[in-house]
Amino acid sequence: MAISDELRALESEALAAVGAAETLEDLEAVRIGFLGKKGSLTAILRGLGGLSAEERPEAGRVSNEVRRSVESALDAKREELERAARASRIAAEVVDVTLPGRARPLGHQHVLHQVVDEIVEIFSGLGYRVAEGPEVELDYYNFTALNHPADHPARALQDTFYVKDLSGDRAVVEGESDVLLRTHTSPGQVHVMETQQPPIYVVVPGKVYRRDVADPSHLPQFTQVEGLVVDEGITFGDLKGTLEHFVREMFGPDRRVRLRPHFFPFTEPSAEVDVSCGICGGSGCRSCGGEGWLEILGCGMVDPNVFGYVGIDPEKYTGFAFGMGAERIAGLKYGVPDLRHFIEGDTRFLHQF
Amino acid sequence: MRVSLTWLRELVDITLPVEELCDRLDMTGTKVEAVHTLGAALEGVVVGQVLDKEPHPDADKLSYCTVDVGGAEPLKIVCGASNFGAGDKVPVACVGATLPGGLTIKRAKLRGLESQGMMCSAAELEVGGDASGLLILPADAPVGEPFAAYYGLSDTVLELEVTPNRPDCLSMVGVAREVAAVTGVAYRTPASTPAEEGVPASELVSVEIADPGLCPRYTARVIRGVKIGPSPAWLADRVAAAGARPVNNVVDVTNFILFELGQPLHAFDLATIATRDGKAAITVRAASEGETIRTLDGQDRALASDALVIADDERAIALAGVMGGEATEVSEATMDILLESACFDTASTSRTSRRLGLISESSIRYERGVDPELAARASDRAAALIAEVAGGTVAPGIVDVYPGRPDPLHIELRTSRVNALLGTTLTAADISGLLTPLGLEVSGEGETLDVVVPTFRPDLEREVDLIEEVARLFGLENIPSTRPGGRGRVGSRTPVQRFRDSLGRALRAAGLDEHIGYSFGDRKDLDRLGWELASDEVLVELINPMSEDQAVMRWTLVPSLLRALSHNQRRGIADVHLYEMGTSFVTAEGRKQPKERLMVAGVLAGSWTRPGWNDPAPALDFFDGKGVLEVVFDALGVGRWTVRAAERPWLQPGRTAEVIVGGDVVGWLGEIGADVLDAFDATGPATVFELSVPALVKAASRTTRAFTDIPRFPAVTLDLALVVAEDVTADRVMTVMKSAGGTLLESVRLFDVYRDPASATEEERRLPAGTKSLAFSLAYRAADRTLSDDDVRPVHEKLIRKVSGAVGAEVRG
Ligand SMILES: [Zn+2]
Repeated sequence: MAISDELRALESEALAAVGAAETLEDLEAVRIGFLGKKGSLTAILRGLGGLSAEERPEAGRVSNEVRRSVESALDAKREELERAARASRIAAEVVDVTLPGRARPLGHQHVLHQVVDEIVEIFSGLGYRVAEGPEVELDYYNFTALNHPADHPARALQDTFYVKDLSGDRAVVEGESDVLLRTHTSPGQVHVMETQQPPIYVVVPGKVYRRDVADPSHLPQFTQVEGLVVDEGITFGDLKGTLEHFVREMFGPDRRVRLRPHFFPFTEPSAEVDVSCGICGGSGCRSCGGEGWLEILGCGMVDPNVFGYVGIDPEKYTGFAFGMGAERIAGLKYGVPDLRHFIEGDTRFLHQF
Repeated sequence: MRVSLTWLRELVDITLPVEELCDRLDMTGTKVEAVHTLGAALEGVVVGQVLDKEPHPDADKLSYCTVDVGGAEPLKIVCGASNFGAGDKVPVACVGATLPGGLTIKRAKLRGLESQGMMCSAAELEVGGDASGLLILPADAPVGEPFAAYYGLSDTVLELEVTPNRPDCLSMVGVAREVAAVTGVAYRTPASTPAEEGVPASELVSVEIADPGLCPRYTARVIRGVKIGPSPAWLADRVAAAGARPVNNVVDVTNFILFELGQPLHAFDLATIATRDGKAAITVRAASEGETIRTLDGQDRALASDALVIADDERAIALAGVMGGEATEVSEATMDILLESACFDTASTSRTSRRLGLISESSIRYERGVDPELAARASDRAAALIAEVAGGTVAPGIVDVYPGRPDPLHIELRTSRVNALLGTTLTAADISGLLTPLGLEVSGEGETLDVVVPTFRPDLEREVDLIEEVARLFGLENIPSTRPGGRGRVGSRTPVQRFRDSLGRALRAAGLDEHIGYSFGDRKDLDRLGWELASDEVLVELINPMSEDQAVMRWTLVPSLLRALSHNQRRGIADVHLYEMGTSFVTAEGRKQPKERLMVAGVLAGSWTRPGWNDPAPALDFFDGKGVLEVVFDALGVGRWTVRAAERPWLQPGRTAEVIVGGDVVGWLGEIGADVLDAFDATGPATVFELSVPALVKAASRTTRAFTDIPRFPAVTLDLALVVAEDVTADRVMTVMKSAGGTLLESVRLFDVYRDPASATEEERRLPAGTKSLAFSLAYRAADRTLSDDDVRPVHEKLIRKVSGAVGAEVRG
C-alpha cells in the first residue's frame, strides 16, 4: 500500500475516533493515540525520511493534509465537549435566587443623632462651626448671663436639676447650689462669646435636662441644637432668611415657615417658628391639632444685656440665636408618638431609622 | 388667660371673624392656644316643665315625674331632688346628652321604673356651684328651647398664652387694648364712680407702709352694711367665664375686677381688724421672726422673714398679694367691708407664693407686675359694684398711700437702630404709627424719637424693648428675609468632633446600633457591678433628683447598655448589639463642677443575625467584641494597641482584658459576670467594652499614615504549628516571631489553636499534658525580588529557634 493510502486510512480511523469521543478525557486519549510522541500518525511521519525523492513531495503533502484534518477535528470536538461540560455544570449550579442573602447587618445611628447631624450639616453648609459645653453647668452660664432675673421661675428646684457643689462655695442664687444640669444648650452661646471675638457662627448640639417625669410627651433628658451668629450688621431679616433656609432643607422645599413674636429672656425681639403641617399643608388636620402649623423652634436677636455679660459692644455687633429640640423634630419628621422610645434602646425602634 | 368673646366685645369693637382674630393675635405674639365653643357641651339639654310629680313606689327619696320638653310625648323621669314641684321649669338632659362632667344620659331603670332623661342642678351643668337641688328656671322660660341658648351660655372662649413679659394682657381690658392695637379699632375702659355717704373712709381706716420698697401703693375703701349672698347671674357668669368659681357677691366682685381690669383686690371683714384710735389699723410690713398666719384655705403657714404681710396691730391678717387670712375673711355675717387695692413688689410676691406653694390668680398678676396707677380706679369700680350687688353704702373717699409713684419713663428710640436691628426701612412716621395704638406717646421725627411708656407696660424699659414692639406690630412676616453676609466665617469641625463621627460610623459598620441612654445613674449600680471608685473620685449627686434610681450622674455607660440589653431580652429580642457614646461624670472633694469624660461603650449578646438557611449564626463571645475593636481601631488609625488579661469585678474572670494603647490603659473588654447579669435581669453571654474617647483620639493622632509600595513580588507562605505551655499567650509567641523574622517576615496569622479534649484517653492524647498547639501561617516577602527557598529557609529556621528558646515551643511534627 502506498504511503498516502496508509495516511488516508489512518485519517478515517482518527476522524471516527474523534467523533466517537464522549468526554474531554476520551478526546485527549485519541489525540495522544494519533498525534502524541508515540502516536500512529507521528510514527508514519517519522518514516517519511526513508522515502525516495519522487515519493516524498506527494507523501509530505498528504501527511500535512491528514494532520491538519485530524487537528481541526480534534479542536472542533474539544470545543463541543467543553461547551457541553460547561452547560451541564451551569445546570447543576442553578439556585433559587429568592433564597435570602447572607448579610451581616450594619448598625443604625440613633434617630436623634441622625437629626442632630442633619441640622449640623445644614448649618455647616452655611459656614457655622460646632461648639460644645459642659452638661453640668454653672447657674451663671445657664441663667444669669442669659439675662434671667434672680427670681426667674425656671430656676426653681421643681424645674431645674441642681448638683451638689463640693467646692464649699455658698449658693448665690437658688437653693443649695449654683451648679446645675443645663436646661438648654444656650449656655454654649455664652461660652463661645466669652472665648471668641465676632464674627461668630456656631451651632451647639447637646443633651439638656429638665425635671419632668418621663411620659409620652416629656423626658427629663432631651437633645437640643443651639445656633448663634454675632457679626456686624446682623438683622432680624437675616435670622428669618436663615431659618427659612433651614426649614426647607430639613423638611422639604414645599414647607412654609412663619415666625410668631414670643418672649425669651435672652433674645429681643424673640419669636417662635412654625413650619406648615406636612400632612394637610397648612389647612389644619388632626396631626397639627387643626392649626396647620407645627412649632419647631425658638429664636431671636441676642439681647444687649447678654452682650453686656460677655463684653461685646452691642452698638458695633448684633446677632441672633435659635434653639430647637431634636426629639421634637424627629417626632414630627417620623411621627413618633411617645418620646420614651428615644431612650429605651429597643432595637425594634432603633432599626426603623 | 381665658377670654370670653362675649365679654371682650363689650370692651372692644371686634370687626374680624374669630379665626382671623386668632391669627392676628398669634402673629403679634399673643398665641391663641385653644378656642372653646361653650354651649356645645350642653347639647341635648333643654328647658323642661314638670307636669306631674309623684313619689316613687319603691324608694322614699326618689320621685317619678312627667316632664314636658316640647316633644310629642312628655318624658318620664326618676329624680332624686326635692326642691321642686309640678309646674316648675328646670333644665332637662335628654337621652344622648353628655354633661360637662362627662356623664352621658341613657335610658335607665331606677328601682324598677324607667327614666328617660335627667333633670339637672346648676353644678351638674357647671353653670354654678349649687348642687343641693335642681336649677329652677324662671316661669317664662320657653319649654323645649336649648338650655345653653336660653341661659346665655353660647359663647366662644379664647385661651391665650400670655408671655411673662406681658402682665398687662392678664386682664380683659388689657386684652381689649391689645386687640384694638393689633386690629386698628377702639377699646373702652369701664370705670365707675361710687355714690358715697356717711363717715369718710379716712376716719375708719388707717394705712401705714413699713417697707415702701415692697409696696409702692396701698389703697383702702370701706363699704358698710352689705348683705353677703349669691351674685346676680351676670356677675356669676362673668366670673365663671374667666375660669373661677362664683363664691358670693362681694368675693365675686373682687374676682370680676381682677379679671376685668387686672387689679387683684382683697375684701376684709372690717369688724375683724384690730383698731387703733378707733380706726382699723392696716400696716404693710415684712413678717416678723417665727410669725405664722392661718390662710383662707385653713392652713397654718410659717412665714419667712422676707414675706410681706398685711397686718393689724395684733397679727398678720393677709399674705400680701398671695392669700388672705382666715380670721378676717368675709363671711355670711359680714356687714362692713375693707376693700384693699394695692401694688406689691414682683420678686417678693413671687418668692412667697412659690415658697408656700400658693399660686393664685392674684399672685400670678403681682409676680409679673401690676400697674400702680390702677389701684384707685379699680377700687372705685369695685366699691360701686359691691354697693350695687350687695347693698350697703360706700364710705366717702379712699385711703391711698402711694410712696412708689413712678415717674413717666421716656425712652430714646433711633429710627436707624430700628432698621439696623430688623433689616427694615421704616420711617419715623411708620414707627410712631405702630407704637401709638399701644398707648405709647411718641414725639419727635427723623432719627431720634422720644417715647413715653404707659405704666401698664413694665416690660418696656429699653430701646430694644420698643424695637420688639415695632417688629411685632409691623409684622414679622413683613420683614424681608435675607442671610448674613459673613465674610469672616469658616464652617469647620474640630479633629475631636470629626473623630467622634468616624468612631460612630466605624462601630455601625461593625454592626452595632447606637443607643442613647439616661445620663442619670443609680448609686446602687456600684454594688450591682462591684464597681469601686478611685479613692479621689466622688459620684456627682443631684440635690433634687426625680427618683432614687436617678439620683446621681452616671460614672460609666455600662448600666445604660445593660438596661437596654435587658429591655430587649425581656421582649424576646436575643440579638443585641449596641453602642453608646456619652459623658460619664465623677467629681472630687473641693470641685465645683465634675469632670466630664466622653466614653464609648458597647454590648454584644446573642448572634449577629438569627440563623439562616446558609448561615449558622454562631453565638457572640469575647472575640466578637475584640473583633469589633480590631476593625474600629483599624478604621480610625489607632495603631500599636494590645490587650492583656486583667480583672474587673463586673466581668467574668479569665474573659477580661484591658485595652492598652501606647502603654496606657484606655479601657477594657470582657464578658459580663453571671451575678451582674442577674442583677440587671439580663442573660449572657454578653460582651461589653468601655473606652475613653479622648485617649483614642490621642492614639489616632499619633498615627501618621503614609503610602507604602504595593508588593510586586510573590510571598512565600509557610505553616508552622508550635506546641507551647498553656500559660504562653498567643501574643507573646507572635511578638517573638515578628522580632525574629526580620524584614522578610511580612505577616503572621494564627489559624488554629488545638488542645487535646479533656475526655481524651492516654492513647488518644496528641500533646503533652498542660500544653496547646498554635498553628501559624507565616508570609515572607521581599520588596525587590522573588524569594527562593534558599532565601527563606535560614530565616524561618532562625525564627523557629528563637521562638523555641524564648517560649519553650516545640515544633509539632
Ligand atoms: Zn395638619
